[in-house]
Amino acid sequence: MNTELVRLTDVTKVYQGGITGALNGVSVTVEEGEFTAIMGPSGSGKSTMLNLVAGLDRPTSGSVFVRGTDLAKEGEAGLATFRRDHIGFVFQFFNLLPNLTALENVLLPAQLKGNTAKVRAGELLDRLGIAEVADRYPARLSGGQQQRVAMARALVNKPTLLLADEPTGALDTQSGEHVMDLVAQLHREGQTVLLVTHDAKLATRHAERVISVIDGRIVDDARLESPERAPSEVIRVRGEEAAR
Amino acid sequence: MTALLVKAMADLRRRKLQAAVIFITTLLAAGTGTMTLSLLAQTRDPWQAAFDAQRGAHLRVNFDSRTAVAALAGTASHLGATAFSGPYSATAVQFQSGANKYNVTAIGRDNPGGDVSQLRITGGRWPKGSGEIALTRSFADLNHISIGERLKVLSVPDQPVLTLTGEVVDINALRADVGGVQNAWVPSSAVAALTGRGTSLYLMDYRFAGNPTSAQLQAHLHALRGALPPGGVTSTVDYIFARTVFHISTLILTGVLVAFSVFALLATAAIVANLVTGIVISGYREIGIMKAVGFTPLQVVGVFVLQVAIPAAAACVVGIPAGTVLSQPLLASNSQALGLAYEPSFSPTLDLLALAGALGIVIIAALIPAFRAGLLKPAVVIANATAPRGQSGRWLRRLADRARLPRPAVLGLGEAAARPARGVLTLLAIFLGVATVVVALGETRSFNEIYTYEAHSGSVDVVVMRSPALSDADTARLISSQPETARVVAETNANISVPGIADPVATLGFRGDSAALGYYVVGGRWFNGPGEVVAPRSLVQDAHLKIGDSFKGAVQGTPVTLRVVGEVYDFTGGPGGHLLMIDSSTIAAAAPDLAPSTYRVTLKPRSNVNAYVRRLAAAQPDLLDVQANGTGNTSFLTVIGGVLFAIAAIIALIAAAGVFNTLLLNTRERLRDTATLKALGMSPRQVVGMVASSAGFLALMGGIVAVPAGVVLYRLLFDQLSLLGGSPTPAPFYDVFAPWELVAIPLGGVMVAVAAAVIPGRWAARTNVVEVLHAE
Amino acid sequence: MSLKYGVLGLLKEQPLHGYEVKNRFEAMLGGTWEVNIGQIYTTLQRLERDGLVRPVGPRGDRGKLLYELSAEGQRALDEWLIQPDSGPQQLHEDIYVKLLLATRIANGNLQEMLARQKRTYLQRLRDLNRLEKRARSEGRVDLARLVRGALLHAEADLKWMDELSSERFEVEATE
Repeated sequence: MNTELVRLTDVTKVYQGGITGALNGVSVTVEEGEFTAIMGPSGSGKSTMLNLVAGLDRPTSGSVFVRGTDLAKEGEAGLATFRRDHIGFVFQFFNLLPNLTALENVLLPAQLKGNTAKVRAGELLDRLGIAEVADRYPARLSGGQQQRVAMARALVNKPTLLLADEPTGALDTQSGEHVMDLVAQLHREGQTVLLVTHDAKLATRHAERVISVIDGRIVDDARLESPERAPSEVIRVRGEEAAR
Repeated sequence: MTALLVKAMADLRRRKLQAAVIFITTLLAAGTGTMTLSLLAQTRDPWQAAFDAQRGAHLRVNFDSRTAVAALAGTASHLGATAFSGPYSATAVQFQSGANKYNVTAIGRDNPGGDVSQLRITGGRWPKGSGEIALTRSFADLNHISIGERLKVLSVPDQPVLTLTGEVVDINALRADVGGVQNAWVPSSAVAALTGRGTSLYLMDYRFAGNPTSAQLQAHLHALRGALPPGGVTSTVDYIFARTVFHISTLILTGVLVAFSVFALLATAAIVANLVTGIVISGYREIGIMKAVGFTPLQVVGVFVLQVAIPAAAACVVGIPAGTVLSQPLLASNSQALGLAYEPSFSPTLDLLALAGALGIVIIAALIPAFRAGLLKPAVVIANATAPRGQSGRWLRRLADRARLPRPAVLGLGEAAARPARGVLTLLAIFLGVATVVVALGETRSFNEIYTYEAHSGSVDVVVMRSPALSDADTARLISSQPETARVVAETNANISVPGIADPVATLGFRGDSAALGYYVVGGRWFNGPGEVVAPRSLVQDAHLKIGDSFKGAVQGTPVTLRVVGEVYDFTGGPGGHLLMIDSSTIAAAAPDLAPSTYRVTLKPRSNVNAYVRRLAAAQPDLLDVQANGTGNTSFLTVIGGVLFAIAAIIALIAAAGVFNTLLLNTRERLRDTATLKALGMSPRQVVGMVASSAGFLALMGGIVAVPAGVVLYRLLFDQLSLLGGSPTPAPFYDVFAPWELVAIPLGGVMVAVAAAVIPGRWAARTNVVEVLHAE
Repeated sequence: MSLKYGVLGLLKEQPLHGYEVKNRFEAMLGGTWEVNIGQIYTTLQRLERDGLVRPVGPRGDRGKLLYELSAEGQRALDEWLIQPDSGPQQLHEDIYVKLLLATRIANGNLQEMLARQKRTYLQRLRDLNRLEKRARSEGRVDLARLVRGALLHAEADLKWMDELSSERFEVEATE
């Protein structure tokens, strides 16, 4: 039995001026080592769930426990420390600091803690295939390279949770696949991943659990299987003769 | 054009804070600039106008009492003067008003009018009878003597009482607050009764055609001396000197104001440029859209310039009239000193000039970044959405890194240097703010040092002045008999003629330990015994003497050989002010009837000065004037100090506004980055620390450069002011900053900057990460 | 039609025996279409009857007949290749009728049905993803493309489920 990492209990989030809430009474748990995709149309509240888990936002009601810590009991400083130590966040639009080189961007979370992590940063950049651009500024990197830098930044503190919000949204197909393959690799090595996406193909490619969110409610929580299947069990091609 | 206005006004409404900053800085700059221009434009007029109206004397000469009166009357035609008045019989007089005693020269004159040197009556009437006297208005105002007051004359044995019946303005006289013995007037029949022993003289005023130059007047004087026996001419004042002295305080004030106005305008320009650059950067995307919609590059420039010009123009509308109004008291003071009614005059040309200047500078400062905006290519801009940032902060970050500063500080420092143009402009504003504070401090302190020096504040506690009715021996005995008396220096006034100097030179003969009085010896040494003399530089130079030279002088006609042993610093001598200091035994040997009349007393430590003064004054209330030593009249100092600090405060405010504005721009621009940092785990305190580091660094850099620069500027300015005063100021008077102060000033600036950073810092720390990062 | 033209296309490459046709056809479709030999022979006979193919060599043992493409067959094939697929969108699956019924029947639990269908689609997507991965790793680019098409169709079905779930349905009772 794996440890429970995240527990949302009856979480509601209402934004000012909204009639319907962004989240309406959501309860869900995530266990260590899981690769969970949270899917839904835009405005469904899936990003809000991620923000709550990362402590970037507070629920209007309900509780959010991560690693046994009740996030409601933490002040801003406490949440910042929490994020620093346990969360790796990858955004759709990278959000690298333009004034720092790739390497400096990656080192940032460690330095905020007061540590140096040069060795780990170097390993990550190597693994992500961007070691040779370590000294370049984000403006001189391609989208795929930038997202990989962001990924390395998210991983440098060995976070318990890797949160990714539409990580391939701003990338071309090939770069996107590249980045997600890396995430899959990490998951195989034990990383717990929470992926928010509207792309079902992407979600089912890597995640073994798909949570569907519509209008702030979880409408489905599906665990997918991965049996070996013959092609004809998956696709059947028929011409018009079959219709006759 | 309508489209431009509409867009500019819309932008202004959104950027209220920045509009306010432009308004305030331009207001201050325009106000001070207008004041300066007003002063510059009107400096020379009132005196010359009054001089011509009152037919002032180009030359006023005092003659020795032994000169033949008949000879005097003929001197005018001998000189080729177009008009003359006199000869007047006059005498030195000491009188008492209230608790104070004063010395004036009482001139016998029956008619305030005449061909030359008319006296303008500003209060009361001309004295008619023998018990009446008129004083100069500046003297009466300075010493709070009012018409009708009774003044007891102490310098003659029967101590007659005179009533003040009138106040006049004598255009040839120096202002009472500048110093020197003032003139007073009595009916000519009354002079004899007021004349004591050896105090009488004659006086004549001459007027020539046109406006004679100093050289021409010197030539006339030379001829005059030639026509009379030696020593006949005792002193002269020419109108050029009188005019210069009249204007000196205004000149100093104007000089200071000019310097500071330039500073204020520079600071405003720096801030405006900074502001507009910031607006351009934050509105990058909008510029692209504007161009896509159809604004031409020039129209884009126009939008930015308008955003700046509108608040600036509003500020000028308020500031220029304010500056004109505020300058009126300063302008009025000159006219009032002349007894003229001051008519406030507003020169529209001047105001327009100020408007053009202030607006011009603001617009030019805005144009440079605005042009950059105009030249941007729309596609590039829209794609980028934010201005590309340089990597200039890198070296600084590396340094900070190596210094092992905490990460938020490193990031803050890097940010400070990330946009070099903005950093430089902010540094400039800080520099100007700190430097002007340093200059203001320095100037006032140095002036203070001089005033203190002149009054021997450090070394003399009590000043006693003796009426001729009491003997020197009695006075000296009385003073020495007081238990607290530690040291007495008796001062004898005499005139010594020096070869090469036209008029006999005023001389101070000291009896006692005069070296302890504190005169600053610039070269050589103080005198040790008879025959040795020290003098200020102006005399030494004009007499073509060096230290060690001997010359043959004459004391009251008796020849003496004197040797220059040292050069001293004296400020009150003024341009061309000549003075000699000598041991009184030399004078006593040559002119035994001269005796000391002033006694400078130093008391034993921890003595009660006021008790001493009261006791000594009570011993001889009529014949002695006993005063505690003060710095004398410091009204000029107060005015200058007030103006300097007001302007320094203004410029410091402008600088602080500039720094605050930069911080706001930076934090707004970096909103995305700050949100990202928060998402990565930067705590609110670390965010504030980051912003504060940025501000503190800039303030520190600016302060470190500004303090030495400020000291240099202050010295340069004071050098110029010293020249106005006639002699270079010696080094110790420049030593007005304690080392800890020079360190504390930039640190103080850092503290101010860090305090100012708290507001934008906390704002940044409170940003809602979710909104910022997900709002696309 | 595509079996018929598939055979024609294979014969264009080279004349083939019946069983060779079956093998190649199945290989081309990567296992997604299994045909039995009888169907092949029936198709060949029809094609021969229509003059689009002709046997090569003597008629003899049926299993050993070699077929080749005739000039007519060539022309027919070319025409078919050029023709775009027009005609109505084919919706074969049960879900479409189920949906129409469920919205009519007052006690048809639409949301649950949609959820369950969606879950099935998710699993289908997963399987398709894995199939695509395998195809690519085996270098079968053409097959991978086919699977990709299936993936997108499946995704479209899923999206339709989402849309339906978001709608507020009024039960359209007929009575």
